[in-house]
Amino acid sequence: MKPFTKLFFLILGFTSVILFPGCKKFLQKDLQGTLTQQAFPVSPSDALLATNATYEAIREWYYHSGGYPILDIMSDDARKGSNPNDQASNLNPYDNFTFSPTQDGLDRWWNTLYVGVKRANVVIEKIPAIQMDETLKTRYIAESRFIRGLIYFDFVRAWGGVPLVTTTDPPLKLPRASSNDIFNLVISDLQFAIDNLPLQSDYASEDLGRATKGAAQAMLARVYLFQHDFFNAEIYAMAVINSGQYGLEPVFTDANGVNGNNGIESVFEIGALQAESTEGGGDQYANTQGVRGTPNRGWGFNRPTIDLRNSFEPGDPRYKGTVININDTIDGVVILGDGSTPKVTYDEHGNIIEIECYNRKVWVPGNNTITQWGHHRRLIRYSDVLLMAAEALNENNKPGEALICLNMVRARARQGNNTILPDITVTDQTELRDIIFNERRHELGMEGWRFWDVIRTGRAAQILGPLGFITGKHELLPIPQSEIDISQGSLLQNPNW
Amino acid sequence: MYYKDLLMTNSIFIKIGFFLLVAFGFISVSNAQIKTIKGVVIASDTKETLPGATVLIKGTTTGVVTGIDGNYSIAVTTDKATLVFSYVGYNQKEVEITNQTIIDIQLEPKKTTLDEIVVIGYGSVRKSDLSGSVGSVKSEDITKITALNPVQSLQGNVTGVQVTSSSGVPGENPSVRIRGVGTFNNSDPIYVVDGVIVDNISFLSSSDIISMEVLKDASASAIYGSRGANGVIMVTTKMGKAIDEKTAFSFSGEVGIQNLAKKIGLLNGRDFAIISNEIKSGSFNNVDAVPNTDWQNLIFHSAPILDFQLSASGSSKNIQYYISGGYFKQCGIIDKSSYERITLKINNIYNLSKYVKLGNNITIAPYTQQVAPNVTYDAYRAKPTLVPYYPDGSFAVVPGVGNPLADLAYSNNFNRGVRGVGNIFGEVNFLKAFTFKSSFGIDAAYNKSENFTPAFTIYNPDGTISQQQNLMSSLSKNNNYYFTWLWENTINFKKEFGKHSIDAVAGYTMQNTTSDGFDLFGKNLIRDASSFWYIQPAYIYDPANNVNTISNIKESVNLKQYYSMISFLIRVNYVFNKKYILTATFRSDGSSKFALNNRYASFPSFALGWNVSQEKFMQNIKWLNKLKVRASWGKLGNDKIDYWDRYARVESNILAIFGTNNDPNTGASYGINGNPNLKWEVTTQTDIGLEFGVLDSRLTAEFDYYNKKTDDILVFLSTPGYLGNGAGAKVRFNAASVVNRGFELNLNWRDQVGKFKYIVGILGTTLHNEVLSIGGNSGVDSVLIGGYLGNGIPVTLSKAGLPIGAFYGYQTDGVFQSQAELDAYPHNSQAGVGDLRFVDINGDGKIDGLDRTYIGSPIPTFIFGFNFGFEILGIDFSVNVQGQTGNKIFNGKDAVRPDPYNFESRVLDRWTGPGTSNTEPRPSFGGYNYTPSDYFIQDASFLRIRNVTLGYMLPSSWSTKIYMQKIRIYIKADNLYTLTKYTGYTPEIGSDDPLSPGIDSGVYPITAFYSIGINLNF
Repeated sequence: MKPFTKLFFLILGFTSVILFPGCKKFLQKDLQGTLTQQAFPVSPSDALLATNATYEAIREWYYHSGGYPILDIMSDDARKGSNPNDQASNLNPYDNFTFSPTQDGLDRWWNTLYVGVKRANVVIEKIPAIQMDETLKTRYIAESRFIRGLIYFDFVRAWGGVPLVTTTDPPLKLPRASSNDIFNLVISDLQFAIDNLPLQSDYASEDLGRATKGAAQAMLARVYLFQHDFFNAEIYAMAVINSGQYGLEPVFTDANGVNGNNGIESVFEIGALQAESTEGGGDQYANTQGVRGTPNRGWGFNRPTIDLRNSFEPGDPRYKGTVININDTIDGVVILGDGSTPKVTYDEHGNIIEIECYNRKVWVPGNNTITQWGHHRRLIRYSDVLLMAAEALNENNKPGEALICLNMVRARARQGNNTILPDITVTDQTELRDIIFNERRHELGMEGWRFWDVIRTGRAAQILGPLGFITGKHELLPIPQSEIDISQGSLLQNPNW
Repeated sequence: MYYKDLLMTNSIFIKIGFFLLVAFGFISVSNAQIKTIKGVVIASDTKETLPGATVLIKGTTTGVVTGIDGNYSIAVTTDKATLVFSYVGYNQKEVEITNQTIIDIQLEPKKTTLDEIVVIGYGSVRKSDLSGSVGSVKSEDITKITALNPVQSLQGNVTGVQVTSSSGVPGENPSVRIRGVGTFNNSDPIYVVDGVIVDNISFLSSSDIISMEVLKDASASAIYGSRGANGVIMVTTKMGKAIDEKTAFSFSGEVGIQNLAKKIGLLNGRDFAIISNEIKSGSFNNVDAVPNTDWQNLIFHSAPILDFQLSASGSSKNIQYYISGGYFKQCGIIDKSSYERITLKINNIYNLSKYVKLGNNITIAPYTQQVAPNVTYDAYRAKPTLVPYYPDGSFAVVPGVGNPLADLAYSNNFNRGVRGVGNIFGEVNFLKAFTFKSSFGIDAAYNKSENFTPAFTIYNPDGTISQQQNLMSSLSKNNNYYFTWLWENTINFKKEFGKHSIDAVAGYTMQNTTSDGFDLFGKNLIRDASSFWYIQPAYIYDPANNVNTISNIKESVNLKQYYSMISFLIRVNYVFNKKYILTATFRSDGSSKFALNNRYASFPSFALGWNVSQEKFMQNIKWLNKLKVRASWGKLGNDKIDYWDRYARVESNILAIFGTNNDPNTGASYGINGNPNLKWEVTTQTDIGLEFGVLDSRLTAEFDYYNKKTDDILVFLSTPGYLGNGAGAKVRFNAASVVNRGFELNLNWRDQVGKFKYIVGILGTTLHNEVLSIGGNSGVDSVLIGGYLGNGIPVTLSKAGLPIGAFYGYQTDGVFQSQAELDAYPHNSQAGVGDLRFVDINGDGKIDGLDRTYIGSPIPTFIFGFNFGFEILGIDFSVNVQGQTGNKIFNGKDAVRPDPYNFESRVLDRWTGPGTSNTEPRPSFGGYNYTPSDYFIQDASFLRIRNVTLGYMLPSSWSTKIYMQKIRIYIKADNLYTLTKYTGYTPEIGSDDPLSPGIDSGVYPITAFYSIGINLNF
């Protein structure tokens, strides 16, 4: 044979040797640098990873639809903020209740909550099969059930019944569950968390920020309060108070500030790093709401309203702890504000409708935007627990005990100045109910609770009506239109939307 | 023998020497002469003299060209010479010189120009034996356009092909669409360069290409099976001829200047001040005393392009070769943008024996690209009443936009890399009819990008810090490695017996593609100079600001470039009696992108052709010298998806922050659900074609109807939120159908009147693009939303019944002229008198998101081109015009206004009171009127004079004196003029994403380009 013929047969032989037996292997390209879901979680360390991941969903920018929490903007406490044009068509409709099921932001909040649900379900469903320390295993599951309960409580308040997912592999075309079913899951998740989570003081200092028994009790009190179950609300709020785990920060601004991170008043908070991305550990919540212009701390969304500014009792130091005004000096920094934002905005009749100011609750000391990303957003403060207890006690005809809790909050707010914010002595249930309601506004303003407080106490028509609130419609948000479209008929819209 | 070789070598050196001498401006004169031959060259058919015919002494490069009267006179140095007479369109004729001194010659015209050879997959075929639809471009048209990427030359030269330059960014690849957009995925065709399959050809110099063939229908492209659905572009590079050929050198050089082709009409300072005062009174006290800055003038300037290439091709007894080196440099019309490329090309064939060949085709192309920040958009938005600099020369603040000149000054963004594409092959011819070929090809690329921004601060006029600042210097790097090997083994069988002719090929191929990349990010470098652009851990902590800046390092595989394939292919082309053609093709592909159960798919195609003009009954019809009818049907596939789409993945590196020290605790959980059931996307294409030539093929025409339907399209769909995939996340499904259909017409008229040769070409393509279904009733989305503007608002929606990427938004029907009119119509609470009136599409008495509707298609319905050229007395002229109609542009740059920006001049026609404008609303700096609506939709139709070239071939009597065979000089203009109603820089807005086409978000403008060049052959 000539050499070329040999070559030909060599190639032919060589290729058939490689090709035929190797076909299947040659065409198998495994995932690179990424696990498949079938291969996770399988070990004790995987279990910890899966548990940690559940906490991240609530640090997402889209939690509550974006760093500009639409709930505050929907309330009488805040307007859109930033300069007049910025996000105007996306956010103004929330301010004046002209938003629709297609409104920007609803779908992102909805989707992000379900990310948290999915991650919690991974822990709840997959970890029981892992061979590991049983105490730790139970704690991981309880932490995840706390987060799942917290998330579903957001869902049921915002939308009512939603698709109820308690597995990692839900079917397609899942319809909405009833709001009762959702509440039942929330309560059972939080109850499990209460039964199985450690006290805050039982955690090592490097684990502070994980869900605690106290946090679960406080959450449950909040759930029962929302359901007007004052009997149970009192039980769980008082359980937190009687645990002796918590107290009030001596300085009001520390309650949300960096000095109070994982502090005595913090029942549950979202930890964050001073890093300019969510992936890097930052939380853009305070950057989105931070002072716009000079100093440049952010975009300046979520601006306190004239009504909120004027509602504080004379001399209440919490006014300055809630609102940053132009020319204020904070931590040695003079606030000059933004060039593209009018200092004062008037309506067509010459009435002031907005003054350039910013949310003090998200202030972080420093000299740039990056530090804002390190703000720890408080989801449960001890003063909130005290006020929840006061509210429940008052409803349960225990005005004396209610006043003790209420006046603890006022005493701290006073900051040692006895000429302001006198102790409340009113024992009339209706009067005291109103006082506590107002106290919540001044203590917790701009922290995202006002809208729900107004809704759950049945005051929406009176307070939000003038802003465009329609009774029978705006108690619930519309199901995002995109979800209805995707469901191809299996998701039904809320009434009157 | 040895002596002769030496002489030859010497003459080459002499030529190179002369070339260099000429290049440096020296002139030399030749003086050797022995005998002079004279005569006249006449055409045998017309009996007219042929001016410009070439008379060459065989085996040399010495020759002359006949004069106006067809006369020539040539000096011959030896007695035993042969003269070769040639003329375009006529058969070459050779005459041996004995003792004549006068030789008159008649040249016979060539019978037909139609029977050219066309390159198809794994072979080539006579055009008359072709049953599929293939478009072809030859080297002279390829080099006409000065562009980095030779694919630009297809635009306006091949029907059914749309080449869109997305922008004028130096080095940017245009988007190429063949017969519409048939998928929601990557819609780019594949390129086969001398047998190596690649994704683009930006590494090739136009001068190295001999032809490009576009395989359009299923019959032609089915041999590429799973890759053929978007069309196949075959690229053949140059090679020395198989016969003994002396080395031919060729040099081409071109220098030119690019200018901004068109400025956008924006307000000047005074007009802006007047409008601002209308929006908010008192904004400017004295409108006559405001600054007037033309930001466009500040960022754009003229910029050069240089393009040089030197090549040598030829053959000796056993070796054919082509080698070349090229240099291309384009500076951008915006500072800090440029592209520079060197190309080295080596093609060889070694004829080892009569039956065995070895060969190689290798290209190596290193490049450097500098990318400017998008200051085009900044210049568009910046108020004309602002100045670029403070009196002290420092950058002034431009609120809400950023000072574009500062952005440029602080930008340092580079891509550097090298791409090598090549193959080696062996060919064995056996049993006369069989050829076995084994080819091993590689496509390897390394790219390194580097982006450095120094720390800087732009101050407000009052000395406070503005939002345009970079606190710490930052450096990001990306290193990317890409490697593909492709091994193809084929056996060809080619035999003619009697009236039968069979050309068959069978083979199998294997391909493996891998890639991975590193991203690195660091801050706070110790110095700003480029010699310090290295990322080091020491720079992570920033003590000055007491901030941790995490230096990120991330490595990942490129999701689209990590796969392997195995394919089996077979094609039979059978021709009976030169009349009846049957082609059958079959390819089976296996792709690693699919799970085992769906891994393989088969793609068959069939085609029939009938050369009607070969029939006896046609022989009496003299005026019709060619008529062919053909039809084809076939299936093609597409697997251009991410390798990991079928896997359900775990997302890792999810951080939870715990503890008094804010410790990052890593986490991991289920990420996006995969879809293990993914399978091939299948395109079924039908094509019916008609070709004819009349009047001695002066008029040739090709007419095609095509219908291309794609099913099981691999499409990313939104899944129900409760699956927990997250906001905006999508999962891949086989769940959509799209059809593209239309007609293609290509008409050419070539003729000669006396010495005047001319050609007129017209081509047109109609296109109907329609989504037939999305999602089905599967519980996932049935619409695809895309086209996100800068503010995150989507403006395209694809669903059944609409074109892919159809624009959607509110439909307007005028401007609210009065309060009464406003009160009488449904309106959004933000609407006021003088604002746009949106149509209540669903009739529910209110205006909300549900009233958004279809407001225009981004896909043209008609694409056309027109070519005209003539040659006379060494002068050649050509003009190429092209255009399209039926599509729209969404002027996205106008629609996004979070801050007060400058306006386009249409605001001058604004509504100012009842009865004024009913199209232009009252001016505003943002808000309601900027809700996406048809107010931002503009007509994208255009007609562009793409290229005008005027060349002059120096008489050979001059060029031979300096040892040159051919000297041609030319001037040309690209993008000379564009007729369009669109107000932006260019009506051609390309996009890689089929769901986001035609949105102008502030593109880098296309330029007008004027150049002068020279071609030398020696």
